[in-house]
Amino acid sequence: MPDVAAIETFGLEKTYPGNVQALQSLDLEVRPGEVFGYLGPNGAGKSTTIRLLLGLIRPTGGRSSIFGIDTQRDGVRARRRTGYLPGDLRLTDRLTGREQLASLARLRGGVDDELRDALCARLDVVLDRPIRQLSRGNRQKLGLVQAFMHRPDVVVLDEPSSGLDPLLQNEFRLLLRETASAGASVFLSSHSLDEVQHVADRIGIIRTGRLVDVDSVEKLRERALRHVTVTLRDPLADDLFAGIDGVRVESRDEHVVRLTAPEGAMDAVVKRAASHPLLDFVSQPADLEEIFLELYRENEDGR
Amino acid sequence: MAAETLRRELRDHRRALIAWCVGIAAYVTLIAAIFPSIHGSVQFDRLLEHYPEALKALFGLQGGSITTGAGYLDVELFSLMLPLLVIVLAIGAGARTFAGEEDAGRLELPLAYPVARARVVVWKAVGVAIQVLAAAVAALIAIAVLDPIVGLDLSKGNLLQAIVALTVVGILFGWIALAVGAAVPSRALAVGVPAAIGATGYLVGGLHSLAVWLDPFRFVSPFWLVGTGPLRNGVDPVGVVVVAAIAVCVLLAGAWRVERRDLQTP
Repeated sequence: MPDVAAIETFGLEKTYPGNVQALQSLDLEVRPGEVFGYLGPNGAGKSTTIRLLLGLIRPTGGRSSIFGIDTQRDGVRARRRTGYLPGDLRLTDRLTGREQLASLARLRGGVDDELRDALCARLDVVLDRPIRQLSRGNRQKLGLVQAFMHRPDVVVLDEPSSGLDPLLQNEFRLLLRETASAGASVFLSSHSLDEVQHVADRIGIIRTGRLVDVDSVEKLRERALRHVTVTLRDPLADDLFAGIDGVRVESRDEHVVRLTAPEGAMDAVVKRAASHPLLDFVSQPADLEEIFLELYRENEDGR
Repeated sequence: MAAETLRRELRDHRRALIAWCVGIAAYVTLIAAIFPSIHGSVQFDRLLEHYPEALKALFGLQGGSITTGAGYLDVELFSLMLPLLVIVLAIGAGARTFAGEEDAGRLELPLAYPVARARVVVWKAVGVAIQVLAAAVAALIAIAVLDPIVGLDLSKGNLLQAIVALTVVGILFGWIALAVGAAVPSRALAVGVPAAIGATGYLVGGLHSLAVWLDPFRFVSPFWLVGTGPLRNGVDPVGVVVVAAIAVCVLLAGAWRVERRDLQTP
């Protein structure tokens, strides 16, 4: 039996009134059992794509499908197999978490109570206080439970990690990997490569409404540059980092060297730096804008 | 299932509804309590004879006496106050349940569930209708209880008809608010359109007999359609059916339109 794509878009387009083209001819494919990271800067079209998939807005061109089911023409059937966590989750504040989840379970129908309870326990969800008293992180957890509690075949998450503390983020990543291992697909959008790289199989990068690149995480990681700031104890005249492949020194004075380096060069950079007494060594992940610019330029150059 | 929408609509707003029902019953009680002091007062009738025609027309004072139970309640309750209260409740509920929720971003999650938008709108409409009915029944119970106490001497059949007409007119405005909010993402329009129709309809219905140029427009007024002076004259059953039919058509139009537009999300 041929593998039907979990999510597929065919020339999907969205132009908002006032001629604002949010999405241009998007061709995207998410496979079953895959975690797909959808990356882009703010305003790139990530949420637009997601809302089109969920039938919340109508495309101005093209179409999309979930397991072969057209999301516009047969939206109810498509959404039966889909779980969704919006980027800006709004719940009924007056209800407790327990009541809200019960209400959503009734709305959907066919939800396994045991799974719902298990998810609540696992994510340490606050169930018995009114939602209006809960922090953003606790509300987000409720949002996660409702997205997974019906054992969907596709889970669509719009910037899910924001608001979650690091411990929870770990639990969340495990949940995603388990979901994928069980054969379901996860489509998660983010503006942070860091958030996504540990959990995604493939990553698609969208910029100003265009899918600029789709690649596996390893390949993208290789291309991502770190910003490294090395503070030396003793002033140094010579170029400490000369000759390391991919490294570009941005600035240098007697004590402080600022450079950018791809992941593959980090070993050499650290070892070179360590050969001298150091006061500080700071390595920051690459700014996503840079990766996008890098990719965009590459695309335009045809490389 | 989409019916959960109805459950949410009724449960989340039950306290407000109870407050409305109690308020309406209290108002009715207040009005009824005054009745014994003007019951059968000839001076009062004579005083009203000299009121301006327009005022008399608006408040249904033209036909019959205000000093009988039916006449009194027709003027004090059924000519303006009860319809006003019920319509305000209806428009509030109708505008809130779709336009209001959409504005607050609370429709994004439920409408991403496997439910058809049109069905959600219909279940919300049922919720609005139930709230209107509850308010009308509160008025009915209050009047029925007070009838023997203050000596209103009302025709039971006419009272029932009056409440049915009140309910149907209330549902009409509630469903206009809901349908407008479903058709366009504007809470302002969801409130403004039915309010404008209500105000216009009231004036046309009240004054059409005095202004020749207004007369052809009387068909547009739901108040005229159901008939004035319900406790004295009963209601026009055809008018009630027409108003009900308009309400259903408006609702279906809104449900049809809602499927086709973009949802406003936060």
